[in-house]
Amino acid sequence: MKKHTFLIAFCFLVSLQLHSQKYFTRSGITQFEASEKAFEPIEAINSSTTVLLDTNNGNIVSQVFMAGFQFRNALMQEHFNENYMDSYQYPKATFKGNLDNFSIVSLKANNSYDLNGVLSIKGINKNIQTTVSVKVENNRIFISGSFYVNANDFDIKIPSIVQDKIAKQIEISIAYELIEKK
Amino acid sequence: MSLLKKNKTVFIIISIVILSVGIISVYQYIYRSPKKTVEIAPEYKGNANEFNYLVTDNLSHWISKIVQITGKVTQVNEDGILLNGTIYCQIEDIHDFQSITENQNIVIKGKLVGFDELLMEIKLNQCIIIQ
Repeated sequence: MKKHTFLIAFCFLVSLQLHSQKYFTRSGITQFEASEKAFEPIEAINSSTTVLLDTNNGNIVSQVFMAGFQFRNALMQEHFNENYMDSYQYPKATFKGNLDNFSIVSLKANNSYDLNGVLSIKGINKNIQTTVSVKVENNRIFISGSFYVNANDFDIKIPSIVQDKIAKQIEISIAYELIEKK
Repeated sequence: MSLLKKNKTVFIIISIVILSVGIISVYQYIYRSPKKTVEIAPEYKGNANEFNYLVTDNLSHWISKIVQITGKVTQVNEDGILLNGTIYCQIEDIHDFQSITENQNIVIKGKLVGFDELLMEIKLNQCIIIQ
């Protein structure tokens, strides 16, 4: 692991800590589904997603570990990590973005926000634009939504033998419950 | 003649049995569900501080591996425990750790999913408390 990455991340964290109020979770739920109709479902759930939200400006960063995706089928999980995602080489996917016009003060029971940012999977960056629902309850912030990504945008090669069984458009759903970071 | 006929029937029955056992085991192999933490022998057993060094040294080796860590509880959260301030263990069953308090020593077995650069900690999930 590179020392300077640590240092930058550390300085980044320290600088955020000084100026702003943050909400976070370590156990956010990120799911994906790439099933084609009439074939067995191809889906997995990751309940170890780290998410940090700066409530002063709506900046959001999240990180999901490939090894944290749980499938119902062990063989599918193996193939996901070894053949499709190269999880040992690219252990995580990250997202850095912003909830446009976010303000915790104006948050009522349920709100929609535009979420813009960069999703990085297997070292490839793609812009993501979607709408998420955000609500506040008991000093917790709930963020949920879903969007689609293309497998070939991220250099995910699908062998021709299973091509009909795996959707090209993969739906990613998120459900994060953030608590205040002290 | 009748003996030959009998042999043939026996042969057919045996082939059907062997074939179906084969098909069932292939089917079970393909559709087996992932093993639980409790069923897998840990690749590493030891102390949290030492493990920290090992992971910093070679992270990719440890990804997806089941490890068993002894350490001191520095924080108890809703869904997990922080060991020695550097290893976060997400617990599989939240009823498991209701009696755990800060500063106690604990042994936890779980699956290493990666190094969390946002919070600067090693992350384990599907953890179970051994002791």
